[in-house]
Amino acid sequence: MTTSPLLEAKALSKHFGGLQAVQGVDMTVAAGEVVGLIGPNGAGKTTLFNMLAGSMAPSAGQLFLEGEDCTGANAHQMAQRGLARTFQITSVFAGLSVWDNVFAATYRHQHANWLWAFFQSRSYQAEQAQMQQRTEDALRSVNLLHRRHDSAQTLPYGEQRKLEIAIALACAPRLLLLDEPAAGMNPEEGVKLVQLIRGLREQGMAVLLVEHHMRVVMGVCDRVVVINSGEKIAQGTPQEVVQHPEVVRVYLGREAVHA
Amino acid sequence: MHAVATGLLLLPLAMGNDYVLHMLTLWALYSLLALSLNIVVGFLGELSFGHAAFFGVGAYTSALLVMTWHWPLWLAPLSGAGLAALLGWLIGYVSLRIVGPQFAILTLGFGAIVLTITNYWVDVTRGPMGLSQIPAFALPSWGWDFSQARHMYPLALLLLGVVLYGCHVLQHSRQGRAFVAVRENPELAASVGINVFRTKLLGFVVATALAGFTGALYAHYLRVITPDVMSLTYMSAMLIMVVIGGKGSLYGPVLGALLYTFLLEALRSTGAWRMVVFAALLITCVVFLPSGLVSLWRRRKEATT
Amino acid sequence: MLFLQQLLNGLANGMGYVLIAVGLTLVFGVLRIVNFAHGEFYMLGAYATYFAMSMAGLSYIPALLLATLLVAGLGLLANHFFFAPLQKEHEFTMLLSSLGLALLLAHSAEAIFGADPKYLDTPYADATLDWGNITVTEQRLLIVGVASLLILFVYAFIRYTRMGQMMQATAQHPEGAALTGINTRFVHSYTFALACALAALSGALVGPTTMLFPTVGDWAVLKGFIVVVMGGLGSITGALLGGLILGVAEALGGSYISMGFKDAIGYAIIIAVLLWRPQGLFTPGARR
Repeated sequence: MTTSPLLEAKALSKHFGGLQAVQGVDMTVAAGEVVGLIGPNGAGKTTLFNMLAGSMAPSAGQLFLEGEDCTGANAHQMAQRGLARTFQITSVFAGLSVWDNVFAATYRHQHANWLWAFFQSRSYQAEQAQMQQRTEDALRSVNLLHRRHDSAQTLPYGEQRKLEIAIALACAPRLLLLDEPAAGMNPEEGVKLVQLIRGLREQGMAVLLVEHHMRVVMGVCDRVVVINSGEKIAQGTPQEVVQHPEVVRVYLGREAVHA
Repeated sequence: MHAVATGLLLLPLAMGNDYVLHMLTLWALYSLLALSLNIVVGFLGELSFGHAAFFGVGAYTSALLVMTWHWPLWLAPLSGAGLAALLGWLIGYVSLRIVGPQFAILTLGFGAIVLTITNYWVDVTRGPMGLSQIPAFALPSWGWDFSQARHMYPLALLLLGVVLYGCHVLQHSRQGRAFVAVRENPELAASVGINVFRTKLLGFVVATALAGFTGALYAHYLRVITPDVMSLTYMSAMLIMVVIGGKGSLYGPVLGALLYTFLLEALRSTGAWRMVVFAALLITCVVFLPSGLVSLWRRRKEATT
Repeated sequence: MLFLQQLLNGLANGMGYVLIAVGLTLVFGVLRIVNFAHGEFYMLGAYATYFAMSMAGLSYIPALLLATLLVAGLGLLANHFFFAPLQKEHEFTMLLSSLGLALLLAHSAEAIFGADPKYLDTPYADATLDWGNITVTEQRLLIVGVASLLILFVYAFIRYTRMGQMMQATAQHPEGAALTGINTRFVHSYTFALACALAALSGALVGPTTMLFPTVGDWAVLKGFIVVVMGGLGSITGALLGGLILGVAEALGGSYISMGFKDAIGYAIIIAVLLWRPQGLFTPGARR
């Protein structure tokens, strides 16, 4: 790729006391690219993921978003710059309706303050209409529009996962970080997820996903980065990575990551 | 619907019973206070035990500015609100970083300090004796004296209407949605771009400003103010209004204030037992009806649609 | 030797606070409940002693023991009917409910016993011991003596008895403790009753040094919170040290700065601690 990457990590490291969780990882994600992050359990994927998302500060290394240094930026700052993420354990606004859950995520695109709202100014009303449209579109893309008045906590697990994605989409991010999005999904839902991610890629979004479901990884990733014991051991197309001797060695004999 | 309610509320003015009008004025003022606490407890989901202190600060500041330093009457309540907001900013800045029950204890401590200072700084606040003969708002050329219930009530009702509309707007505004997002899931809120701490602080300061403003109105209406208004008793009363009425809702605090004002008065003859009744109501609501009495009405509405 | 006098007064007051705080911290450690109503058991202990003496004609020590037993029993009931069913609820719910219970108990006491202050008269309240310029009432000595013994007893109990170890296990890992066969509900009841007993004893011991009124529980629970937050929620050693520090700081501050601001000292301390070291001055989290 000759285009400069959207997200670039240089020598990112994290240690907790004596434990080195991530060591000197370089990686990039470009616009319109889907990158998979795989590795055995405990390899440091989650720590790396959290550093990229801003919810954990790196001990060393640098992070660039669209060429701008945002090392050490925290979660909401990264979000303001156009990054959205989902969580490994389903995370929604439990007490709010599905609609309100997603509407809340349009936060960074709203600029009207309370005073304009008080006087129902035209710019406020226009903005509200825009946000409603965004919310509707996000819900429609995960097929949850019909549930918009239901309370988020009444949703079954699979739909809560979809709600999470809708929340992330409503942020209109340029970079989407997905943490095990296919976990707990049946094969049919997995296929829909792959279609959704492909659609996002076509729109020019950069996507990074941590995943154990190899079928999803193979099916949608343009590139795969493999982490083991905090270090990057391989990267390349899914086909290349699967045949990489180091990767094979790491996964050999262990409970194979299920497809 | 709103027209009917407004009509009903204005009816007592025609009947001219000063006692009822006084009760209604108190209800309106307590509603404002409960709405301010609702921003913190309901919208932000933070259990603050120091809120009564801001009410008191607003009251005392306004009264003292007029009586001791001869400020113009129209400026004083705004200054009361301003000082309460400043104090709210200071206390909020240091307290809102703390999560869990420690926040409740911390705000309890701050509230207790403000009460203690008010009680012992006798030179300025006249201590436990409080301030009396506080000048009332008045428009003499129109014959309006706002220490009279029949004049204060419409004003208080108007202000209540404005604040209710403001809260309604808040609920649908960007900041208001951020408040509840922070309440429901701070981590997720941050991941959509919300600065959690600043959002909490904003809500806290708005709430304390409103409490201070209400305190000033209260002081100039009753014309007497004592440190009691910052006591744990008052604080509990406020919490009772918000929780029983329905925290996080728009009309809940107003309903809670109505229940409190009138039930308290109706049970006056029972002495200390009336607070026992309220305590029992509080417990019942917290356990069985966490969304307050307002949710009963909402459930009925949903059942019929 | 004003300093020494104030120091001794402070230590005596401090021990009173320690008794309140130990119960509060035990309940938080084992049951994970922040109990706003804890001060009411202090109040009830004092009132029960008063009525046992004035109406049943008992002398001080038997009245005190009876009161402690009664209030411990009341605590068992409160836990069974009130706190245990709410265990699984959100923290917010628990805080507000315990506030409701506190109001319920305080105002019921006001309605039943009357709002006028009562004086708990004991044979020790007026008798004094003098060393040079220092005067200590026997009541204060009693507080220090009894409280010290109790702290040692509680410490040994938790460390060495089976029930104590079960309490520790439940505090450290509630689910794990249940899995190893510990009847956590029983442990909860036992702990709660013990905590209320300590609070009641504190009320009966400290009550004679001041006067009784129905809302004294609010004051007691606030002192308890200050100490517990200082010492760390769940730490008994912390409660001991915190209580003594608060007592002495108040006594010295009160005499050298101003009596009126005595109470403000405690609040200032708690604020300073929560801002600087929210987990408490003496915890690394382990309960003893």
